[in-house]
Amino acid sequence: MKYRFRDKAITGLAVVVPEHERLFADDMKLFNAPENRSRKLAMVMGYNAHRVVEKGVCASDLAEAGFRHLFDCGRIRPEEIDALIYVTLSPDHFMPPTSCILHGKLGLRRDCFCLDIAQGCCGFVVGLLQAFQLLEQDGVRKAVLVNADVLSRKVSPKDRNSYPLIGDAATIAIVENREGTGEIHADVRFDGTRAMALKVPAGGFRMPSSPETAVMKADSEGNERAPDNLVMDGTAVFNFVMADVPPMLADLVADAGVGFADIDKYYFHQPNRFMLQKLAEKLDVPYDKMPNNVVEHYGNSSGATIPSAMALNDADLLCSKVGKVCFSGFGVGLTYGGIVMNCGNFDFCETITYKGEN
Amino acid sequence: MDKNAFLSELANILDEDGIDETANLRDFPSWDSLAVLSVVALADSKFGFTLELADIKGIATVADLWKHFEKNRTK
Repeated sequence: MKYRFRDKAITGLAVVVPEHERLFADDMKLFNAPENRSRKLAMVMGYNAHRVVEKGVCASDLAEAGFRHLFDCGRIRPEEIDALIYVTLSPDHFMPPTSCILHGKLGLRRDCFCLDIAQGCCGFVVGLLQAFQLLEQDGVRKAVLVNADVLSRKVSPKDRNSYPLIGDAATIAIVENREGTGEIHADVRFDGTRAMALKVPAGGFRMPSSPETAVMKADSEGNERAPDNLVMDGTAVFNFVMADVPPMLADLVADAGVGFADIDKYYFHQPNRFMLQKLAEKLDVPYDKMPNNVVEHYGNSSGATIPSAMALNDADLLCSKVGKVCFSGFGVGLTYGGIVMNCGNFDFCETITYKGEN
Repeated sequence: MDKNAFLSELANILDEDGIDETANLRDFPSWDSLAVLSVVALADSKFGFTLELADIKGIATVADLWKHFEKNRTK
């Protein structure tokens, strides 16, 4: 469905990445694949380094560290936060919502609205839409959108299709009403018939985790994973992105009254470099307008990749100028969406390293 | 993209110097998920059609693959 808003803006952005870095050169040693093929895979997909949490670290730990930093620096005060939207596929518990845990730890007001959203690759787009909707209320002046995931904990290190690309991160975006920002156009679509293309089969109520769901099995290529692990149908996801995302974006851009050439920057979800380059070619957008380097620096951190792409590539630019940007996320659900809006003049845009202490 | 260009692209994907049309795809040591994805991407970008994993499962030789590409191409 299409959505339209006015005069809303991202006013600050923080990205939290864990200090612990894994290198593809080391990952490779665990794969049952010829070394030359693994090297080619790394070259094509852009695998190099990825940041993963140490054992036991939760997504909300990264988010909390980010908030503590922002409070300490005076970027935002806890009492100013009117809404906390927490988007994750790796919640601390089934019960309670992780947003409530953070609400308690951070000392937020009782009338601050807390909401968990279970979304992945499209989680920044979906979360931003939710923030915009809340900002239509007079009482909501600052909505904070958190995208946090530690899916490395769900990926088998012996799975060459998923492990080298996975990364953990939390991002915090401050979203506010701001006069004169102009129109915002958005579109989010779903195809639940293909919901199981990206999944963690066990661990929920449908298939509770048990000793059996932890047993690793090798697939036809020698990738070893258990039902407790994340698994994706890479070819189906690639075909979905190539077939369904460009027409949705063409529609969105036309609705916004602009052409692809009028967009200054495309901040897209970062599955891997290959898919982003193919997408850029299909939209006829130059590579330098669509950053594709998050996977090689940090790994794919699900809903946190779009803010990561912004902070990694354009932190100074986003604090000094305003440009027309197109956000797009696509994946888990299957969910795909985009937003075209003016973006920039942030109060801050920074990257923080999580070292394990709060 | 004509047949020769297709064969040379396939050779490149499979890390081979040349490609024998009668060869079975599964006999190439480099026929792995990366090769499959590269062929799927080639279908999408240069031939304008969606190649599903299920289609590939029914294709045996290089010649069969080319036939499928020719039959389904939109550009």
